[in-house]
Amino acid sequence: MATAQATADQVERIIAARSKTKIVRLLIFVVVLALVFLSVKTTIVDDTDWARIGSVWNVLESIGQFIGINWSLVPNLWQPALETIMVATLGTLLGVVVCIPAIWFGALNITPFAPITYPIARLMMTLSRSIHEIVWALFFVAAVGLGALAGVLAIAVRSVGFIAKMTAEAIEDLDPRPVEAIRAVGGSEFQVFIYAILPQVLPVMVGVIVFEWEINIRRSSILGLVGAGGLGLVFFRQLNTFNYPGVTTVILAILVLILFGEMVSYYVRKAII
Amino acid sequence: MAVSTATQASSDTKPAPPREWRRFKFPESLYRWGGVLLALVFVSYSIIYLNIPLDRFFNMFGRVGQLVADRYYPPEIDYVLEPDYLASVFDTIQMSYLGALFGMLMAVPLGWFGSYNMTPSRRFVYPVARLVTMSARAVHETIWAILFVTILGFGMMAGVLALTMFCIGFAGKLFAEEIEAIDMGPVEALRATGASELNVMAYAVFPQVRVAFTGIGIYTWDVAFRAATVVGFFGAGGMGWYLKRNILQIETYRVSAILVSIIVLVLIAEGISAWARARVAKAK
Amino acid sequence: MSILSVRDLRVRYSASGPEILKGVSFEVGADDFFAIIGPSGAGKSTLIRCINRLVEPRSGEIVLYGTDVLALNSRQLRKLRRGIGMIFQEFNLVNRMSVMDNVLSGRLGYVGNMVGLFRLFSKEDISRALSVLDRVGLSDHVDKRADELSGGQRQRVGIARALMQDPKLLLLDEPTSSLDPKISREVMALIMEIAKEYKVPVLCNIHDVQLAMEFCNKIIGLQDGIKMFDGPTSKMNTKKLDEIYAMEVL
Repeated sequence: MATAQATADQVERIIAARSKTKIVRLLIFVVVLALVFLSVKTTIVDDTDWARIGSVWNVLESIGQFIGINWSLVPNLWQPALETIMVATLGTLLGVVVCIPAIWFGALNITPFAPITYPIARLMMTLSRSIHEIVWALFFVAAVGLGALAGVLAIAVRSVGFIAKMTAEAIEDLDPRPVEAIRAVGGSEFQVFIYAILPQVLPVMVGVIVFEWEINIRRSSILGLVGAGGLGLVFFRQLNTFNYPGVTTVILAILVLILFGEMVSYYVRKAII
Repeated sequence: MAVSTATQASSDTKPAPPREWRRFKFPESLYRWGGVLLALVFVSYSIIYLNIPLDRFFNMFGRVGQLVADRYYPPEIDYVLEPDYLASVFDTIQMSYLGALFGMLMAVPLGWFGSYNMTPSRRFVYPVARLVTMSARAVHETIWAILFVTILGFGMMAGVLALTMFCIGFAGKLFAEEIEAIDMGPVEALRATGASELNVMAYAVFPQVRVAFTGIGIYTWDVAFRAATVVGFFGAGGMGWYLKRNILQIETYRVSAILVSIIVLVLIAEGISAWARARVAKAK
Repeated sequence: MSILSVRDLRVRYSASGPEILKGVSFEVGADDFFAIIGPSGAGKSTLIRCINRLVEPRSGEIVLYGTDVLALNSRQLRKLRRGIGMIFQEFNLVNRMSVMDNVLSGRLGYVGNMVGLFRLFSKEDISRALSVLDRVGLSDHVDKRADELSGGQRQRVGIARALMQDPKLLLLDEPTSSLDPKISREVMALIMEIAKEYKVPVLCNIHDVQLAMEFCNKIIGLQDGIKMFDGPTSKMNTKKLDEIYAMEVL
């Protein structure tokens, strides 16, 4: 009898504890929801020109303008598409060259003088990753003028962070046994790098580079918006001439290009691994 | 994987003993060098085709330094401390978190439907979910911003929607990958108790991915914030608009001040995100 | 009298793949503790999973308490599954949930979607969970997370979860393979006691022949998807074991 009472008490206690956590969660949820509503009000409700948007029908109508494909534009897309790929490729390769010192400095186990070189490399990586490619492109357009070169540079600088970070991490986790083995047979530091470190890191690095290349296609497809050529420029022109089906066509072309990039990257990575 | 390729690579470069081995690898290395050659040809052709002025490239470093020193330095820091600009920073932060939130609300079901192991139907739901995620990701956030501005007019709504699309693509893919990596044991166990698929998700899948999802969520916000700093460039609200206006007015000192403010804010956001993710990972 | 009868069960995972089960038939009685033994790859796990259709057989017939298992639609199947407790080799607990929630999750077949989603389990379910936890000797660990427990304790949570289902049949998939020999024996003894108490028949696939001989009253020997032996434990002998495990020795 006593044990039954004890069990009943325990049940009550467990139920009470469970409903308490539920109430706390509910409260947090309500607070978050209120914050979200506040933000929605200031950003969306107050900052939108509702008169311009009009009714739902008007919105649907403006979306409807985009439906359709401008086939006559398609032949003119080959060249910008090729340019986009080329900018992405050159940018990625240049990025790889630039990121070699960042990798060397940024891997804790090989960095030459950790207290100074490691933070420098980290800063390089963070700067590169944290600034949007549009901002980089604006900067380089100002520096070297309009054209593909600005795009290549923007892509290169934007790629450094990711490639360097992943490769440096791969170097940090590499298997130390081959390094020991090469040292044991009397290899120099350079030979250790060539025979023990590089072979271990190369597949990772190539995988990362190909992955970054795929992302760079996506990036280079819009750099035309700020004057760096490629599909982005065509997109901008279609938009400025209010040729909305043309806009859709360019977007579809970009999708095809990215699909192509993903396929290439998939097969290359499969071939390495 | 790294280890196996390492042994393979070192076996064909290792100097001394069996010379015949190298010969045996000849056709293979022929392809490899062919590939390298092809890549080189493509690169040089691209440089010619894109009309890239190499001389300008090589003396660029001096020019960039001079340009920065002459026109962009010193940044007009007072400008970015003006209330108008600070209000736009606040707007940018709100846009980024709303976009990340709405995007993730959509990305969670898309991640479920687009994960090969848990999708309700591999033949229909899975490809549709994958396609939606892929398209959202493939279209660049600035293009989303331009499209929404064209449809809805200038303002932060376009920005929030553009960031939402961006986050759907970004988080949807990561969520799906995370669900694909779970241990299927608990899933099997709960299916065996006769639980509904929704409850299997809630009990067997969600506890396993909760930490990872939180981390991805924070990271998504971080990336969305970076994007939010520029969507305004195309009229979708936030700081980007100030950037564009000052570029057009050639107010270079203000432009550099804005760029500096973007860098600082992004670094802060990244710091917060890294700290929060580390905490979440520790909490498990 | 038999409560489960399996006839000519055939399984293959893909149309071109090898046949995993090549026409297996057997009967389980109401008070049986049935062992399925055989070398790894013989199809033991597949066979167990066919009973509650975690694996879909290509052909054959499974009748459980008069229900044609293979004819059920998904709703009926869930109803059937909630009456079949299953215990797994790797325990298959949700590591990040508390012991209590893991045990309560055994109840999910009985509650609605929303009750499950918001964890609004009834008082009866919670007191039932406490009593089964008490039965398996874990009443001190109710609020611990599943990954804080030792292997033997985790398997006890797995047993408690199965008991929450109010099972009419227990399926055990190598319940002791992840445990050390002493704990294995304890867990098997516990399962046997519980099966007697709750009057549940058990179908257990097990790698360890010693344990099978000790705890089970009937044995099926499987080899490469074919039934090699079917009978009471007393009829099993070394020669027959050698036959069943012949492939493994080679």
